Amino acid sequence: MLFDKLNLLFLATVAASVAYCLAVPGAFFVQVILWATLAATLGAGIRFVMLVGELNIGTSAFYGIGGYTAAYLTTAYGLPFGVALVAAGIAGGLVAAVFGYATMRTSGAYFMLISFAFAEIFRMLVVESDFLGGNNGIIGLFVSVEYEPYFAATVVAILATLISALAVIENSSLGKSFIAIREREEIARSVGINVLAIRVLCLVISSVVIAVAGACSGFITHLVTPNDYTFMIAVFALAYVKLGGEEHPTGPILGAILLTLAAQYLISFGAYQQVFFGTVIAVAMILLPQGITGRLRDLVRLTAKRTARDAG
Amino acid sequence: MPAETQPLFAAEGITKRFGGLVAVSDVSFEISRGEILGLIGPNGAGKSTIFNLISGFYRVTRGRTVFQGQDVSSLPIWKLARIGLARTFQHDSLLKGMTVRDNILVATTQFIRNPAEREKRMSETIDIMGLGEVLDEKASNLPHGHQRILSIAIAFSGRPALLCLDEPLTGFNQTEVLGGLDIIRRLREEFATTVLIVEHNMRAVMSLCDRILVLHHGKLLGSGSPEEVQNDPAIIEAYLGKSE
Repeated sequence: MLFDKLNLLFLATVAASVAYCLAVPGAFFVQVILWATLAATLGAGIRFVMLVGELNIGTSAFYGIGGYTAAYLTTAYGLPFGVALVAAGIAGGLVAAVFGYATMRTSGAYFMLISFAFAEIFRMLVVESDFLGGNNGIIGLFVSVEYEPYFAATVVAILATLISALAVIENSSLGKSFIAIREREEIARSVGINVLAIRVLCLVISSVVIAVAGACSGFITHLVTPNDYTFMIAVFALAYVKLGGEEHPTGPILGAILLTLAAQYLISFGAYQQVFFGTVIAVAMILLPQGITGRLRDLVRLTAKRTARDAG
Repeated sequence: MPAETQPLFAAEGITKRFGGLVAVSDVSFEISRGEILGLIGPNGAGKSTIFNLISGFYRVTRGRTVFQGQDVSSLPIWKLARIGLARTFQHDSLLKGMTVRDNILVATTQFIRNPAEREKRMSETIDIMGLGEVLDEKASNLPHGHQRILSIAIAFSGRPALLCLDEPLTGFNQTEVLGGLDIIRRLREEFATTVLIVEHNMRAVMSLCDRILVLHHGKLLGSGSPEEVQNDPAIIEAYLGKSE
C-alpha cells in the first residue's frame, strides 16, 4: 500500500541523509539536512498531540525548554552533548506533565489559547532571566572537536529514531486510545480509559521528543535566544503537517522537507518568509485539505478502482 | 451480606435535579445477579437520566448508587467501567473513523494488556456478536444494524458484570430485532452478564426481560414481570391515557 511505501521512502531518506552527513560533514547541504530534520521532528511532535485532538502551540516552548536546558548545562557545567540531550528530554517531559495535568481538562480552542499563552510566558520568562542570558541568550554550545565530523549524522539518526518511535506508539493500542479520545471522549471513558491521564501522557511523549530536538537545535547554531523559540515555531510545524497531510506520520516529514527546501530560496525575503508560511497553510487547506499524502492516497485508490473496473 | 445473595446493583433513593427541574425523584430499585431488567416509561419519564446516573455520566443530587456492595455514586466513569459496569450510547455510539477491529481493540486493551490474551478475548467478542465479516470496515461505513451490534460489542469487551443498553434495538427490522435479542440472551447464558435495558420496542422488551421497572414523571410507577406490568391498570393508564 501507499503508506507502506512512504514508510520505506522515509527510511531510505534517513539512510541517505546519514550517509551524506558522514561523507561530507562540512558541506552546506548538511546544514539544510539538519534544518529539515529539526522541522520534521517539530511536525511529527505537533501532529502527535493532534492524535488526541489538540493543537499545541506550546510546542515552541517545549522546543525552547530543550534548547535552554542543553545550553545551560553545557555552558555552566560543561556537560557533554549526549547528557545534555537526555536532560533536555527529561526537562521537557516533566514540564509537560505539570502543564498538561493543569490544562488538558480543557480542549479545542480553549486548550489552543492556553498553550499559546504558555508559549508566550516561556519566552517572556527567558527574556527576564539573567542566568539564561535575557534577550542575548546563551552562546557556546559545542560538541567536542574530535566528535564534530559525526555530529550531523548523529542528530539525524537520533531524531529519525524518535520520529519512528512516535509512529510506533501511534500504531500501538496506546495510540488507538489517543485516537479514540479524539473520536469520541464519552466512549473512551465508558470503556475504562482515564482520559485526562492518557491525554497528558500523549503531551508528555510529544514534548520529550520536541525538547530533544530543541537541544539539537542549540548545538547546530551554537546559540539559543528567546527569538529562536517563539510561537512561530508551532505555526511552522502546523504548516508542515497541513501541507504534508496529517493522516499518516510521514505527512509532516514530507511537508517539513519541502518547506525547508523552499525556505532556502526565501531567506532573502526576510520577514515575508512568515507571510509565505501563513499562505502555505491557507492554500494547502483549500487545495489539499488532506495534505499531499492524503491526495496521493486518494489518487492511488482511484487508480486501483479504475483498474479493477477495467479488468472486471 | 454474602456476595451471592447481595444484589449486583442498588439505587437507594436517587434524585436528580437540573436547576428547578426534578428529573428523577427518590427512586429505589435493585438489580439481581444474572437478571435482565427492562426500564420503560413514556418519553420524558426519566429513563435516560436514570441510565446516566447508573453509568456515572450524571451525579446523583441525593441518594446513592451501590455496585457490588460498594458506593459508586461519585466514581468517575472510567473507574466504573474498570470494575465492571459498562454502558452503550443511544447516539454516536461508535468510534466512527476507526475500523470495527480497532473499536473492539480500544475497548479490550483497557482490560487485557497481554497481546495474545487480548487477541483471544477479541475473537470471542467478534464471534458472539457476528462481526467477523466486517472487521476491516470503517465503523461509519457499516449498515445501521451492524453499528448497533458493534456498540454492544464495545461495551461488552471488558466482560462487565452489569451491561447497560440504551435503546439497542432502535431502527432494527423484525429479523434484526430477533438477532439482537438472541445476542443479549447469550451474553447472560454464556457469560452470566446482568443486563439493564432501556428500549422502546415493547414486544422485544416483554419477550426479553425477567422483570420490568416502569417510570413515570421521574418516579417509579411499578415493577414486576412482563405479564404483571402489562396488566397493571396504573401502568396502562400512564402509557395509554385513561380508558373511557
